[in-house]
Amino acid sequence: MSLSTTPLTPEIVSHEGNAMVLSMGPQHPSTHGVLQIMLEIEGENVIKLEPEIGYLHTGIEKNCENLFWSQVQTNVERMDYLAPSSNAFCYVLAVEKLLGITDAIPERAQVIRVLQAELTRIASHCVQLGTHAIDLGAISVFFYCFDLRENILDLQEAAGGARMHPNYLRVGGVNGDLPDGYLERVDALIAKFPGRMRELRGLLQANPIFQDRTIDVGYMSPADAVSWSVTGPPLRASGVAYDVRKALPYSGYEHYDFDVPTRTDGDAYARFLVRLDEMEQSLRIIEQARKKLNTPGPVVIDDPKIVAPPKETIALSMEALIHHFKIVSEGFRVPPGDVYQSVEGPRGELGYYIVSNGENRPYRLRTRPPSMYNLQCLKGMAPGNLIADLVVMIGSLDPVFGEVDR
Amino acid sequence: MPSTQTPPLAGTATDPTSVRPAIDDAIIERVELSALRARLEALKAEGFSMLLDLGAVDYLGRAPRFDVVYHLLKMPVVAATVAQVGAPGRMRVLCGINDGDHVPSVVSLWPSADWAEREVFDLFGITFDGHPDLRRIQMPHDWEGAPLRKDYPLRGPARERAPRPAFALKSNVQAGTPPSGKTLAALQEQIKKAREQ
Repeated sequence: MSLSTTPLTPEIVSHEGNAMVLSMGPQHPSTHGVLQIMLEIEGENVIKLEPEIGYLHTGIEKNCENLFWSQVQTNVERMDYLAPSSNAFCYVLAVEKLLGITDAIPERAQVIRVLQAELTRIASHCVQLGTHAIDLGAISVFFYCFDLRENILDLQEAAGGARMHPNYLRVGGVNGDLPDGYLERVDALIAKFPGRMRELRGLLQANPIFQDRTIDVGYMSPADAVSWSVTGPPLRASGVAYDVRKALPYSGYEHYDFDVPTRTDGDAYARFLVRLDEMEQSLRIIEQARKKLNTPGPVVIDDPKIVAPPKETIALSMEALIHHFKIVSEGFRVPPGDVYQSVEGPRGELGYYIVSNGENRPYRLRTRPPSMYNLQCLKGMAPGNLIADLVVMIGSLDPVFGEVDR
Repeated sequence: MPSTQTPPLAGTATDPTSVRPAIDDAIIERVELSALRARLEALKAEGFSMLLDLGAVDYLGRAPRFDVVYHLLKMPVVAATVAQVGAPGRMRVLCGINDGDHVPSVVSLWPSADWAEREVFDLFGITFDGHPDLRRIQMPHDWEGAPLRKDYPLRGPARERAPRPAFALKSNVQAGTPPSGKTLAALQEQIKKAREQ
C-alpha cells in the first residue's frame, strides 16, 4: 500500500504578491484546543485558510474495537469531554437497538437519561459562552458560567461518582438509582437558574461591545450550512429548525414540551442567542423530567445476560453469581447487524454507526462527530474576513477537539 | 423476563450487515462501485442535500474487502420550521470495494465530504479520485500504514529499554536511612562509591 502525503509545511498555502503565510495555533489560546490554522493573510484580512486537525488523535475508534461493549462506553465519553453523558446516551441507544431491547428500557431510566443529557447540555453551553466571551475580552462572564456549570458537575458527581466523566448511563438503563437528596438539589438548580440566566443575558445580550464583535460576523446561509453538514446551534441560527429530538425522537423526547429556538440571521450573535434560548428550553425539559421522577421504579432492564444482577443477590443465588461472573469476565454478546443512531448533542447531531458481528466487542464503531463538521465550514466562512473575526467564528462554532480528532 | 440474547450466528462474522433486516429508520441501499457516483448524484438531485457522514468498515476476509458508507439526510436548504423539517428522510448507501480500488470523490457534490474522505484515506488507505487535497488528516504525515484496518496491530513493536546505569540500581545502594540523619549526603557518598567500583 502506498500512501503519498504532502508534509505539513507553510507551502500548503501558496504565496501570492503581498500575502503572508501565518500559522495560528496549535498552541493559541483562542483556538479552543489544539487546532492549527494555516492562514494566508494580506494585512489583517484572511485570503485563504486551511485548518489542520489531528493533534489530539488518540485512536478511540480503534481502541473501541478491542473492548467489551460495556467498556467502550467509558472510552466514548472521552470524545466530547464537555458533554460526556450525550456520548454515552447515543452509544447505549445504539447498542440497545442492536440488542432489540429499546422498548424494554424502564420508564424511569429513560427519564433519568433525558435529565442527564439536558444537564450536560447546559453545562456544555456554559463553557462555550464563558470561553467565547473571554475571547472577546469579557472575563467575568466566564466566572458566572462556571459557577452554574459547577452545580451541574456536582450533580453529575452525585449520580455517577465522577465530575467530568460520570459513566452513569449503562446499556439497559442507568447505573443505580439517583442518590437520596438528588432531586432536591435539582430543585435548587431549577430555582437558581432563571436568575443566573438573567445575569448572563444582562452581561452579554445587550452589551454593545459584544454586539459589535458578533453581529454580521461569520454569516452562514441555510444552503451553505446544509451543504457543509453543519448541525446543532449553528444550523438553527441559520434558520433550519433541525433538532434530532424533534425530528427523530428517542428515549421519550416526544412526551416533553419544548421549543426549538431558531434565528434567521446566521451570524455569531444569532448562534449565541440560540444557545442561550436552548439552555432555557433544556431547563424546561429538566423541570418536566423532575416531576416524572417522583414515582419510583426500576432503573435497569431485568435481563441478567446484559445487566449484572444486584450485588446483594450474589451470596444467595448460584445463578446470580454465574451471571455476574460471565458479565465481568467476558461481557455480553450483541447480535450481528449494523445500526446508525443519532442524538442531539450540545454541538449538533452526534451519531454512532456501529457494526456488530455477534461477538462481545463491537466490530466497528464510527462516530459522526458534530464538532468536526461544524469546524470544517470555516474554510467556506472565514476567507475575506479579519483575523479577529476568525477568532469569533471559531468560538461561535464551539469545537471540542477530543471529538474532532478522536 | 426471558433474555433477548441470541447465541452468535456462526459463519456470519465477515459481513454482519447482510444477515439482518434494517433496524433503524434509514433506507439502506447497496451500490456497485461503477454506479456509485451516478447514484449519489441522483440522490442529491432527489433532495438529499446533507451528507451526514462518510465512513468505512474493513471486513477482512470478505470480497470485496471494504465498505464505504454514506449517510444522507433530506434537508430543506432554506429557513424552515420544525414542522417543515419534519422527520427528514435518511438514506444509507453502502459500496463494497476491494483493496486498491479508487472511489470517486463527492467533494464536488457535498463540500463537507472533504475531511471525511481524508479521514477514510488516512485511516483505511482508500483513495478518492477527484479529491482536491487528499492527504493524511489525523495521523502524522509521515505515518506508515492505515491504523483502522483490521490487520493493523493495536500496539506497535515493543521498544527495547535502555539498561539502567549500575550506580542507579537499587542493589548498589544500602537500604535504610543512615544514622547520621544526613540522608542526601550519605546517598551521594554511596553512589560515588558504587561508581568507583
